[in-house]
Amino acid sequence: MSKPKVAFFDFASCEGCQLNKLNLENSLLSILELVDIVEFREAMDDRADEYDIAFVEGSISTPTCVERIHDIRRRSKILVALGACAVQGGINALRNSQPAEWVKEVVYGDDKYLFPSIPVQPVSAVVKVDYEVRGCPMSTPEFLHILKSLILGRKPEIFDHAVCVECKSSENECVLETGMFCLGPVTRAGCGAVCPENGQYCSGCRGYVSNINTDGALEMLAENGLSRLEAVKRLRLFCSSELVELDGVK
Amino acid sequence: MQRIKIDPVTRLEGHGKIDIFVDDEGNVANCYFLVPELRGFEKFAQGRPVEEMPRITTRICGVCPEAHHMAAAKACDEVYDVQIPSTAKKLRELLYSIFFTADHTVHFYALGGPDFVVGPDAPKEMRNLIGVVKTVGLEAGKKVIKLRALAQEMIQTLGGKKIHQVTSLPGGVSKGLKEEERKKFAEYGKYFIEFGLFTLQIFEDIVLKNSTYVDLILSDTYTHKTYYMGMVDDNNKVNFYEGKVRVVDPEGYEFCKYSPGEYTEHISEHIEPWNYLKYPFLKKIGWKGFVDGKDSGIYRATPLSRLNASDGMNTPLAQEAYEKFYDTLTGDRSGSIPVHHTLATHWARVIELMYSAERMNELLNDEEITSDNIRVIPEKTPSEGIGIVEAPRGTLTHHYITDENGIVRQANLIVGTTNNHAAISMSIKKAAQGLIKKGVEITDGLLNKVEMAFRAYDPCFGCATHTLPGQMPIELNIRNLKGEIINSRKRNI
Repeated sequence: MSKPKVAFFDFASCEGCQLNKLNLENSLLSILELVDIVEFREAMDDRADEYDIAFVEGSISTPTCVERIHDIRRRSKILVALGACAVQGGINALRNSQPAEWVKEVVYGDDKYLFPSIPVQPVSAVVKVDYEVRGCPMSTPEFLHILKSLILGRKPEIFDHAVCVECKSSENECVLETGMFCLGPVTRAGCGAVCPENGQYCSGCRGYVSNINTDGALEMLAENGLSRLEAVKRLRLFCSSELVELDGVK
Repeated sequence: MQRIKIDPVTRLEGHGKIDIFVDDEGNVANCYFLVPELRGFEKFAQGRPVEEMPRITTRICGVCPEAHHMAAAKACDEVYDVQIPSTAKKLRELLYSIFFTADHTVHFYALGGPDFVVGPDAPKEMRNLIGVVKTVGLEAGKKVIKLRALAQEMIQTLGGKKIHQVTSLPGGVSKGLKEEERKKFAEYGKYFIEFGLFTLQIFEDIVLKNSTYVDLILSDTYTHKTYYMGMVDDNNKVNFYEGKVRVVDPEGYEFCKYSPGEYTEHISEHIEPWNYLKYPFLKKIGWKGFVDGKDSGIYRATPLSRLNASDGMNTPLAQEAYEKFYDTLTGDRSGSIPVHHTLATHWARVIELMYSAERMNELLNDEEITSDNIRVIPEKTPSEGIGIVEAPRGTLTHHYITDENGIVRQANLIVGTTNNHAAISMSIKKAAQGLIKKGVEITDGLLNKVEMAFRAYDPCFGCATHTLPGQMPIELNIRNLKGEIINSRKRNI
């Protein structure tokens, strides 16, 4: 059997996900034995190429991005979104909370017409995404798990429980008990509760569990003294595409 | 007029590209350098709680999140007017020293170093980490990978995550260092020293002993006389984490020395109509255009600048290397005469690598480092704060103004690379003018030599990461007067 052809593409992001792949160190060499990495960047002049698995990181933020992602989707059998920007819009999507014309004017001045820009969206807002690797930056164990499963032809296991589950199993003191607020009760697990583990509150970089109780989350944050607007801001730091019902809260 | 375009990256609402305009004679008429803009971040910081800044601004860049994490945390300390415990300061500086060593290592071995270690005219397949390993031996490759792995492990312990750290917060840090961790890291520390010495030796053997390379470093094509900026301690020694920002003039005399809170008195930003980014310059001299010299307010903030702006290094091995650096390049060991050769930045970077490795060891052997007095809870009403650290690519300033609830009303960030925008533009233009001439064929090697002029600055946009596999993606188009492409070169796109 020939090795699966794997490609990596990036859109608007900080490149942290890409660097995180280098942190795989030893596993990186084993991966190279199992797959053919045919693209690490875009190759627009080579449109005939097809990929077994395309990994896409970064969020969609310009009309050119939309064209590119459609093209990548057409050529890929499986498409996997990597990291918060690709999966939920990520930090880039904070831009959406400001009036678009104003942001463009501030950034580009009189030349704003030269830089067409659209609201920042996750990859799934434009094309079908088959699998997701969450986290900011993307979680490397999850990336390996999905890659291995796909190579073996298995369906990868998807996390859909709260960070609290992992935090409790590490026997951490509950962050809420320390007087800080925490998004652990609604955030999707898979990170090993890394922030509470290090004395910090969870800021929800992995997006939310699919059955999130939004009202409950808002109530919990209200108990920590956050106004409704503040609570919504906290909840949507990394998530433009989730909790859309909170759009327009003033 | 022909137009040569080098278009490396699109990243985070920004564009990094080089346009070289060539007149009908085939000579370089002008050069424009455009880099990504970060104002998006300054804008969406508005309205958010200031304590989130150390965790939001890391996301500006996956290459150097540590720098933004530190500058933001320091600015937050100021916003809440809180003195952090000594152990917290040491833990932050420890994380920062480890990061500095690792970051400079990546640049030297994978990004900028290959130009020298392998050679500027070497085939492009060789001008990367693999080429370096082939030149200096497989052992070197293994050493680099080991250093990076150890650094990542320590950063994860101290910062919570390898990328996008979470532990620094207003008033200190959220997590201390255990004695068993300290012991383990102190062992790693010995390796860092060994690695620093090894890298200095490589520079000596491969670059300094090769007169072609030394001539290239000293050549006028890569020389600019500018002001230099760097953070120093009370004795004017280089410090990456705290101190005052010192600026020296092109002759090496102190021009000014200011505390973070005074930066607006000294630095102003110039705007060019053709570009959406800003060019910081020394306010008291003023913007005189893209020219060097004492009458122009253009300054540089790079590893070379930090050495030029200081009176030396605080650790013995780095100080020894510092003296040798100035002895070789200016003949004055004290370092009071600045070095103006842009390519010497690579050497300065290796000296800083040595310093950060030594500094990390000092901190790991400081008994206070394992104390659990790591945070003071801020109690005062938040208002305004400015935090400055030296990032690997230059002085990094975070400035926040908040309301009484700690909600950011205004944010201003001057990132490392931004300081150098004007100087990078000048350096590229000078290199292009020296190299691209009528009748000269535009080869890959020639293109690389133009690139070398700005790679010395280690500019932190896409290239820094996209180059990790070896090469920066570049598109070069030569157009005729109608804008039609008559010659085109592409690489890694």
